[in-house]
Amino acid sequence: MLKNVYNWIDERLDITPIWRDVADHEVPEHVNPAHHFSAFVYCFGGLTFFITVIQILSGMFLTMYYVPDIINAYNSVEYLQTQVAFGQIVRGMHHWGASLVIVMMFLHTMRVFFTGSYKAPREMNWVVGMLIFFVMLGLGLTGYLLPWDNKAYFATKVTLEIANSVPWAGPVIKELLQGGTIVGAETLTRFFAIHVFFLPAVLLALLVAHFIMIRRQGISGPL
Amino acid sequence: MAHGHKSDEKVVYVGDSRVKKGNGWVVPPDYTAYPGKSEAFIPNFLLKEWMVGVVVLVGFLVLTISEPAPLGYPADPGATVIPMPDWYFLFLYEYLKLPYASGDYVVLGTIGVTGIAFGALLLVPFLDTGKERRFYKRPITSSLMILSLLAIVYLTNSAWTHYVHELEASGQKPEHIQREEEAHERHAAGLPTSNAKQPQEQEVAIVDPDNPAMEIYKKATCINCHAADLKGQGAPSLRGVGDTHSKEEILAIIHNGQGNMPPMTQAAEAAGVTEEQLDQLAEWLASQKSNTE
Amino acid sequence: MSSNHIDEHEESHNPPRLKEMSRRQFLTYTLGGATAYMAAGVVLPMLRFAVDPILQNREDGSFVKVVEESKITSEPQEFHFELQQQDGWYNSTATLTAWIRKNDEGKIVALSPICKHLGCLVGWNNNQNFANEYYCPCHGARYTADGKNLAVAPKPLDEYMTKIDNGWIYLGEIVPNTVVE
Repeated sequence: MLKNVYNWIDERLDITPIWRDVADHEVPEHVNPAHHFSAFVYCFGGLTFFITVIQILSGMFLTMYYVPDIINAYNSVEYLQTQVAFGQIVRGMHHWGASLVIVMMFLHTMRVFFTGSYKAPREMNWVVGMLIFFVMLGLGLTGYLLPWDNKAYFATKVTLEIANSVPWAGPVIKELLQGGTIVGAETLTRFFAIHVFFLPAVLLALLVAHFIMIRRQGISGPL
Repeated sequence: MAHGHKSDEKVVYVGDSRVKKGNGWVVPPDYTAYPGKSEAFIPNFLLKEWMVGVVVLVGFLVLTISEPAPLGYPADPGATVIPMPDWYFLFLYEYLKLPYASGDYVVLGTIGVTGIAFGALLLVPFLDTGKERRFYKRPITSSLMILSLLAIVYLTNSAWTHYVHELEASGQKPEHIQREEEAHERHAAGLPTSNAKQPQEQEVAIVDPDNPAMEIYKKATCINCHAADLKGQGAPSLRGVGDTHSKEEILAIIHNGQGNMPPMTQAAEAAGVTEEQLDQLAEWLASQKSNTE
Repeated sequence: MSSNHIDEHEESHNPPRLKEMSRRQFLTYTLGGATAYMAAGVVLPMLRFAVDPILQNREDGSFVKVVEESKITSEPQEFHFELQQQDGWYNSTATLTAWIRKNDEGKIVALSPICKHLGCLVGWNNNQNFANEYYCPCHGARYTADGKNLAVAPKPLDEYMTKIDNGWIYLGEIVPNTVVE
C-alpha cells in the first residue's frame, strides 16, 4: 500500500534521486570513529544540527504558553515551568540546549579550523558556517531577554549600551533594537519577533546552504 | 508523460534545472583515491554518528531533568542586580571593560579590535590561502587562533571571578538561586510559590487619608521616597504596611533606618517635626491595613 | 504474490534453512531503533507538555454566594454574581448571570441565560407576544420557566448547580438541565 503510494508519487515527481543522493553517498573512513577513535572530532557538526533540531522543537512548544508582553512574559514562563507537566524539562531543554549548541558549534568550528578544511574549494562553506555562528549568538542574545526577569532585563540593558557605544550609528541601532527610548514593552516584542521569526528563518536558509555545499564538495580528505 | 500503469518505465526529465549539465561545479572528490575504505551514509555511517547522538541525548536529558532552567524575579527597573550576560558573551563583556576598549578608546574597542577579530575569523579562507592543511605547518594562522582562544578563556575567567567577588562583596545571591530557595521555603510552609504579578490585584487603599498624620508624613520628608500616594518611589510601598509592622516597629525603622533607608530622625527634626508627631505618624502608619472592612 | 508461492514451494522440498538477517538489514533496523529512541526522547516530553491542559484535574467548581433564599419567588429574577477564574497564569473575575426561581415543588432552579440555539442571551418576559416565557432576541428561541425548549432551540437551558446554606443560595458550575424531562 505504502509502496504503491510511493510509486505513484515517484512516477510523477521522480523523487528517488533526491533521497538516494543523501542515503547512498559514500563517507570516507577517516571521519569514522569506528576506524580511528580520533575521528570523533568529526561528530560535532552533526551534533550541532541535532541540538538545533531540539532547539527548534522545544521553542515551538514553548510558544504554546509563552506571551511576549512585559506583564505576562514572566508570569507565563513561571507558569509553564512550575505548573505545566514537563514544563521544567521542555524549558530546560531550550535553556541548556542554547548553551550546548554554542559549545558544539564552537568545537565544530575548531575542528574545521585546525584541520584546514576551510581551504579551497570550501571557502564559501566556511563563510556560511561563520554566519550561522553569528546567527546563533544573536538567537542566544535575543532569547536571553524573553523570560523578562531581572537578570534578562539588566543584561539586555548592558548589551544595548554596548550597541550605543558604536560610533555614529550607535544611538540609532540602540533605539531600533529597543523599539523606543527605554527597555520595555516594545523591546520585548521586538526581541521576540527577532528570536522566533527573523533569525530562525535566516538560520534555516544558511543551514540548507551549508548542507548543500557539503554534499556538493564532499568531506575534506584526510590530512 | 507516461500514461497507464507501466510503472517500470522511468520518466527521464530533460531540459529542467534538476538535470546537471557538464561539470560546472566542483567535482566531489572520489574517496577511492584515498587510502582505506569508504562506506554508505545510510545505514553504516549514520548509525555510528547516532550512537554518539544517543549518548549526548541521554546526558542532555539527565541535565534537563536534574537542573531546572534558572528563573529570577520579574524584571524591575529599580532593582539592584549585578548585570550578567550569558556565559558565552562574558569574554566580550570583560574585554569591553579593558582600558583600551573603553573610555576614550571605545571606538577602538567596539569596532576596531572586535571588528577586525570577527572579520578575520569570517574571512579566514581568504587570508590563509596556502595549500597546507595541517595546523602545525601553518604557524601564523594557528598561533593567532590559539592566542585568541587563550584570551577568550582568560577574559571569561576574569569576568566570572569578578562577578563572584562582587556577589560576595554585596552579600547578594544570584536571583535564580534565591527565588528557588524561597519557593522551597514557601512550598514547605504551604504558601503559593508564584512571583507572578497579578494586574487586577485589589489595590490597597490608604486608610484615613485625612488624618493630620498625612501632613506630618509630607513634612518629615518621608514623601520623597515613599511618594505622595504612599505607593513608594524607589522605596517600598507603605500601603498596607500595618499588616506586617506594629507601631513600635515602624517607629524603630524611622529612628534607625532599615535596608537602604537611613535613620530619619535628624531629617525629621530639621524639618521641624517633633517626637510626638513622629509617634502620631507611626500610629497612623500602623493603622494602614489592607483589610479594614 | 506469485514469487511467494514459488518460495513456499521450494522450501517444502529443501531442508529448512536458517533465515538470517543480512548485515545491511541489521544495521538498518538498529539505525531505525536509534532514530526512534532519539525522536521519542526529544518529542515525548514536549508532547506531554503540549497536551497538559486536557490532562489537568478539573477542580470541583467552587460555589459563589448569590442571594438570600427568602427573596426567591416563583417568578424568575435576574441576578449577577462574580466568579474568580484561574486561567493559566491569569486570574480574572467573570461576571455571570443567573435567572433564579422556585418551582412548583419548592426546588430552587437557577438557569443560565445562554441560549442553547446559538449562544445569545435570553431574557424572561422580554417579548410581549410570549408572556411568561424566556425569549431569545436573536432567533426567537423560547423556553418555559423551567428552561424547557419550546421553539428553535434544540435543548433546554442549562442550569447552575445550587446549594443552600444558612438561608443563602450558592451557585456553582453550569450543568445540563436536570429539571425538565
